[in-house]
Formats: sequence, C-alpha cells, structure tokens
Amino acid sequence: MNVSYNWLNKYFDGTLPSPEAIAEALTFHSWEVEEVRDIEGDTVFDINILPDKSMWALSHRGVAKDLSVILDLPMVNDPLLEPVILTESEPEIGIVLDTPHCRRFAAVRVTGIKVGPSPKWLQDALEAIGQRSINNIVDASNYVMYDLGQPSHAFDAKRVGDAGLLVRAAKAGESLVGLDEQEYTFETADTVIARADTDEVLSIAGIKGGLHSGVEDSTTDIILEVANWDPVAIRKTAQRLKLRSDASRRYENGIVPEMVPVGLHAALALILEVAGGEVAGLSEVVTTTTSPRPVTVPLSKVNSVLGISLTTDDVDSILQRFGYAHEWAEDVVTVTPPFERSDLAIPEDLIEEIGRVHGLSHVPSIVPEPVPLTEFNKQFFYAEIIRKELTERGFSEVFTSSFRSKDVVQLANAFASDKGYLRSNLRSNLTEALERNISHRDLLGLQRIAIFEIGTVFSKEEEHLSLALGVRTNVTYKPKQDDPVLTDAIAALSDVLGNETFEVKDGVAEVNLTEAISDLPEPTAYAPYEKDADVSYRPFSPYPAVARDIALWVHEGTGADEVVTVLNGAAGDLRVRTTLFDEFEKDGRKSYAFRLVFQSGERTLTDDEVNAVMEAVYAAALECGWEVR
Amino acid sequence: MADMKTPEGHTHPISRMITEINAIFAELGFVFAEGPERELVSYNFDMLNVPKDHPSRDMQDTFYLADDPEIVMRTHTSPVQARYMESHTPPIRVIVPGKVFRNEATDATHEAQFYQLEGLMVDKDVTLAHLKGTLEFFFSRFFGGDVDVRFRPSFFPFVEPGVEVDMKVHIPGNKLSGRWIEIMGAGMVHPNVLRDAGVDPGVYQGFAFGMGIDRLAVLKYGIDDIRILYNGDLRVVNQF
Repeated sequence: MNVSYNWLNKYFDGTLPSPEAIAEALTFHSWEVEEVRDIEGDTVFDINILPDKSMWALSHRGVAKDLSVILDLPMVNDPLLEPVILTESEPEIGIVLDTPHCRRFAAVRVTGIKVGPSPKWLQDALEAIGQRSINNIVDASNYVMYDLGQPSHAFDAKRVGDAGLLVRAAKAGESLVGLDEQEYTFETADTVIARADTDEVLSIAGIKGGLHSGVEDSTTDIILEVANWDPVAIRKTAQRLKLRSDASRRYENGIVPEMVPVGLHAALALILEVAGGEVAGLSEVVTTTTSPRPVTVPLSKVNSVLGISLTTDDVDSILQRFGYAHEWAEDVVTVTPPFERSDLAIPEDLIEEIGRVHGLSHVPSIVPEPVPLTEFNKQFFYAEIIRKELTERGFSEVFTSSFRSKDVVQLANAFASDKGYLRSNLRSNLTEALERNISHRDLLGLQRIAIFEIGTVFSKEEEHLSLALGVRTNVTYKPKQDDPVLTDAIAALSDVLGNETFEVKDGVAEVNLTEAISDLPEPTAYAPYEKDADVSYRPFSPYPAVARDIALWVHEGTGADEVVTVLNGAAGDLRVRTTLFDEFEKDGRKSYAFRLVFQSGERTLTDDEVNAVMEAVYAAALECGWEVR
Repeated sequence: MADMKTPEGHTHPISRMITEINAIFAELGFVFAEGPERELVSYNFDMLNVPKDHPSRDMQDTFYLADDPEIVMRTHTSPVQARYMESHTPPIRVIVPGKVFRNEATDATHEAQFYQLEGLMVDKDVTLAHLKGTLEFFFSRFFGGDVDVRFRPSFFPFVEPGVEVDMKVHIPGNKLSGRWIEIMGAGMVHPNVLRDAGVDPGVYQGFAFGMGIDRLAVLKYGIDDIRILYNGDLRVVNQF
C-alpha cells in the first residue's frame, strides 16, 4: 500500500520524525517498507502490510496508529475512538439483503450536490499515493477508504430508483460493465447489488461499481453505500473475475463490520464539505456483529515466549501506548482489544504485539545446550554410503524433475503439459540426462558419462526412494548392457545393500532403495563430517564446445606439465580444457596425446577459427623442437 | 590438467549442503526427520493452522492430484512438524531437509520443485532467543565465520509470533559480508499447531523455521539460476 508522509502527519499535527526514521520504525516494529519515494512536497512509502493486520492497518489511520505506539507519539485525533451511531432517517432507502455474504449494509441519500473537481488538498492527497482524481464525490469516497480502510460507493440516485437496492446472488451469465469499462460476466457464487424495482445489476458487491450507475457531471442526488462483505466470497469472485480492487482487498482481509458507521460518517461529512447537498434519508441493515473478547496473558508467558525479561511496568507502558483497556491481577494482564482489532484473539497475539513494540532486537541469542541425537535417519545414512561408493567409481549425482509428461499418477493442475504426471521411476529421467550430457563429454574431460540419482518415485498406492545409475560411453547411442563400469558399480552396491536385484536395461540400473534399506541394520552414528573446500560456481557457456587432438614426440625428460604450458599458451582464451589421454615411451623419446577443447561464451566457434588456433599450437610445439605426429 | 583415466564423480550441491546441514544441526542434537512428498491436505494445511479458505490452498499455488482432491504435492516441509510431533513426545529437536512443490511460474529464483529446510524445537522453555541462537550457530558454521541474525515482524499461519530472519556475514573476503540478507521465515509454533499434533500448548512451546536450500546454494556457491540444479547437467554438478 502507498502511504503518504504528509497524510500520516495529519494525525500528529506535523510532529512526525523524518521519513527515514518512519521507514526504520515500521520495518523493525510493524511490517516491511518496500520503498521510500520522494515526490514533490511529500514522501511516499510502499508498505507491505502483513495479512493478519490488514483488517485494520490497510489505511493511513492504521499506519498512524502503529507509529503512535512505536514512537510513543500521541495521535492528535483518532476517528476510531469517537463512537459513531447511525441514526436512521426518513425517507427510508429500501435495502433487501437476499444473500448470506453481506454482513452489514448502510445507505444514505444526499440531494442537491454539485459534482465538480475536488479541492486541491484532496487531489494532492490522492495523487501522492498514485490515485487519479476523478471528481469530488468519487475522490471523497476513495479518500476515506485510504484514510480509514472502509470502502464506500456512490450511485447516481436516479439510476437506483425509488424502490432502493436488492443485494442478491448473481444469475449465471449475467453481466455488468464496470467503472473500468470492462465487462464482467457472473456465476451464481458472485454477489451483486441490483435495483429493487427492475432487478438491473448496478455493481459487483464489494468489488467494483457499474459504469452506468456511477456519478456523472450532471448528477445532483446520490445514494452512498457503505457495507461489509464476507471475506471468502469476495476473494473468490475477485479472483475469478481477475479484478482485485482496493475495496475487495480490504474486505478479503476481514475489515470488521463495525467500521461501516465510522466510514459512512467520514465519507458523508467529506462529501457535504466538498460537494454540498443535504441528507435525505439513511437506512441500515446489520446481520453480523463482531466484538473482540478480552485476552489474558501472564507476564511470565510473555517473557518465556520472547526470551526476554520485561517487568509489569514495561508491559504496562506498552499497553498504555496502545491505549487499549487492560487490567492487572498480580502479574497477569487482561487486555480488551478495540473493536477494529479482531486479530487479537489469543495470548500469543498479544505477546507478538508486546514483543514487536518493545523491539525484536532485544531478543538475545542463546544456543540450546547440545544433547545427544536420539535417532539416526536410516535412509539418509545409507544414501550417504551409496553416494561415496558411486562418486569414488566416477559416478556423478544428478537431481531431475519429479514430473513426467506421461506416467501413472496424474496431477490435477499441471503447470505445463510436459509435467502432468509424477515419475514412477528414475530410469526415464536418467536416460535423458545421459543423452543430454554425452555431447559435453569432451568439455567435461570425461571418457564416459556415469551418473546416478537418489530420489522419490510414485505409484498409485505408495511412494518410495529409488536409486538409479547409468553409464554411456558413445555419442552414437548403442547402450552396452554389460558395461563393466556399470556392472562393477552394481556389484559394489550389492555389498552395501545386500543382494538386491537391480533392474538393468539400456545401460541404466534401478532399485527400490527404501525396500533395500529396510532390511539393513539401524545406524548408530553418522560418518564424521569433513567440511568441503569452498566452491564458487562459474556459469557455463551455452554454445557448443569443439575438441581437437594433438599427439607429439618430445625428449625423454620433458614432462607433460611443461608441454601443456606451451600448448595452452599458444591455444589462447578459447581453450577451456586440456586432457592428457595417452602417453608412452619409445627409443628414448616420449609420446603424449592431448585433447584440447575450445568454446566461446559469445558464439558458436567455426571450424576455420579452431583450425587457425591449432596451427598456432603446432607452431609453438615445433618451436620447442617437438615433433607433431 | 585432468587425466582421462582417473574419472572423478561429484556429489550434487544440494546433497553436499544437506550433508553439511545435518552435521551442523546434529551437534546440537537435531534429528534428521523426513515425511512423504505426496501429502494429505490435512497435514499440508489443516494441521498447520492454515484456514480452509486461505489463498495458499488455491490451485494456482498448490499441485493437487487428479484422483483425489485431498492429496497435494507438499508445498513446504512443515507437514513433517505435525507428523513428528504426533509420533514423539517433547523435548523435540528436528530438522527436515526435503523436496517441496509450488505451482508457479519458474524463473532464475523460482522453481516448481525445490528443496527446503525445516527446523523445529519444542520443550517447556524454548524461546525466540533459542531460535536466534540456533540460527546464528548454524549460519556461522555453514558460511565458515561470524554471522549475525536479526528478526523483523512477519506473519505465517503456523507461528505466532512470526518473524522474518535476516543474516549478516562478517567474514573477510566473503562477498556476502557486511550487508543484511533476508534469508527465511520463522517464529514460535502456533498453539493450534501444537494442540492438533497432540502436544499440550499449556505445557510446551517451541520455535520453527523454514528456508530454501536452493537459496543457500545461491548465497554459498554463487549459483545464478536455481533451475540448473534440477536438469541433471554435469556442467553444473561436476563443478562441485
């Protein structure tokens, strides 16, 4: 929510500290300030009001109230402290509530208004928080919503007719063009406000007014509606219509019905002030009332949850700043929350208020006394042994998606069509991973791709941990059933797991690990942990790598490192890897064979480009007196 | 220079981190707990004090199974809190590293499936101060130096009070050093969560926290796109 510094300051007669101090106070005591923006003559805060406090805090008054408590700075006026009792007056405005979703509904008729531009202060206030000024009536209604949190809506009285308003479920397929000039089509779960006489839909209850029934320049009489709606019903309709309005947000968050008279009183006063006119009838229907119940908490509980040591005086002083009625019985305090705060229901709610106002920075840091482990995770224990066994044999661990395009267990709402099912095995993903990795074999400096995964797979009835491992040696795909690297690894795993039967197919083996582990002895300790060396991840190039081999004769005493230094120096920046793949001695000379891999971070390398680099490499070798074979 | 004849395998960075996380928390006696990835709605939401009409239950955030509207892919590791408390009596100290699922658009910092680390400690006298101490202990070990933690007010249905946790690393030469980094949500376990799992909130209280292990990977290793952790690409894994 956008909050204006000047607007807040109206509650403090201009005595607020600097905007920076406000942002700091809110961040550490209330909720996150996403952004502080300086605009001409004002500062605007973009505040993330927490969901559990939104029923009272999505308003300048709410934010001002919290600041008043945090900063111990009294508000010069608080509209919620003055009791407002609506007095019904003639002529009656017909209100029929044919819906369970309306909790309170008030309407007031104002005649003889003059629609026109708003006074400058009102335009400035709305524009500061990013709202367009429309006319004095609409602006007055909006101002009160941003000020107090209570939405309202003005109908042109001639569009309502003399019979008044009918609040009812929408009919399936019924539609309305909203004030935003978009057409909305309803289902029966939606609630609308209609003319009582013609049944014509005038507005989407609690969400958006209708274009046709809105205030125009020629409007002289209005009916101002101030109501309260069921949060869930509003959320569902707003969501389905993709129409989250400032009003719907406040109802969704559960603003209390008792705000209706407060909002009506304020909106009416402002309309009379900026547009003239006089009241000609006020009616109200109340179906739901809320009243916060007293909450009791012992001081010892406050301290034991927060981990701090407050005294009764400390807590009392915080409650004084809130101004909420409270009573002590020895060290136990009972607080009666004000009507707007239905969020204060249990002792922990109160503890949170005390803690955040006092300051969470006062919470000390206490490391719990170490205790011996009471249990060892068996699956993790054996998975770790398997990881060690397999990585020692050259297998790398991969994690793949739990979703497949087609399998046994289907999702109701897949994000993408190729992710509509849960995997029933790891084999399919692993085969694809082998396929994807084999082309990077040279880049990775590997002779073969050997990978494994330990992950959960799903059948209709159950889920279990599975282990799959696979090997691929050739780019042209001809999987070897009896690749010795794979068969040796399986044999080694059988030693760990007991004689489990791996299902081996197309170079991939898989076993139900949960089942295999269930027969193994319970662990009594984890392997000692040695901290790994720090790794800094380097992004890799998306472009293909190109490999070139070079074999050469050198003098007997020339080491491979020396040769590599020369080759790499000549190969330049495009070279990303050099691998020695063959060496032997003959007749007092030594033969080395290297594979050089080239890759660019910016483009696909051409053959000509790489050939030119290799020419330079050959030349450098010749210069050293080596013979390129 | 690598030698082709000696292939070396690599452990996935998420596994590496889980191993380290477990080793650090084991020092304090936190048990490595686990639970199903395909979870009942009652454990994923109801028992965690998430109201029936809460937005997080919507289809746009949660994967539901086609055959049964009461089963979801768990959206967090928190259901294991409830499961563990049901089958154990306090004192309880557990961590739950595990895979979770969210039905949302993916980008460099969001995946539809990722890893989360849950922590739970329940006893008669567990306070927010123990949460702070535990997290400072963990981060200091994990990042290899002095790390401070601070709390800001926040809200999650399963805790009260709820806090947002920031950390600040003080390690010379570490690129994370010297600034506050938002790292996770936490709080004191909501009494409804304790009660529903069979733990008397009149006797016991505790803290819970939840953070993204992927996010730790971003911070610890400088991984710039978490999606690369889940596509089986050895150009990533073999750097670890």
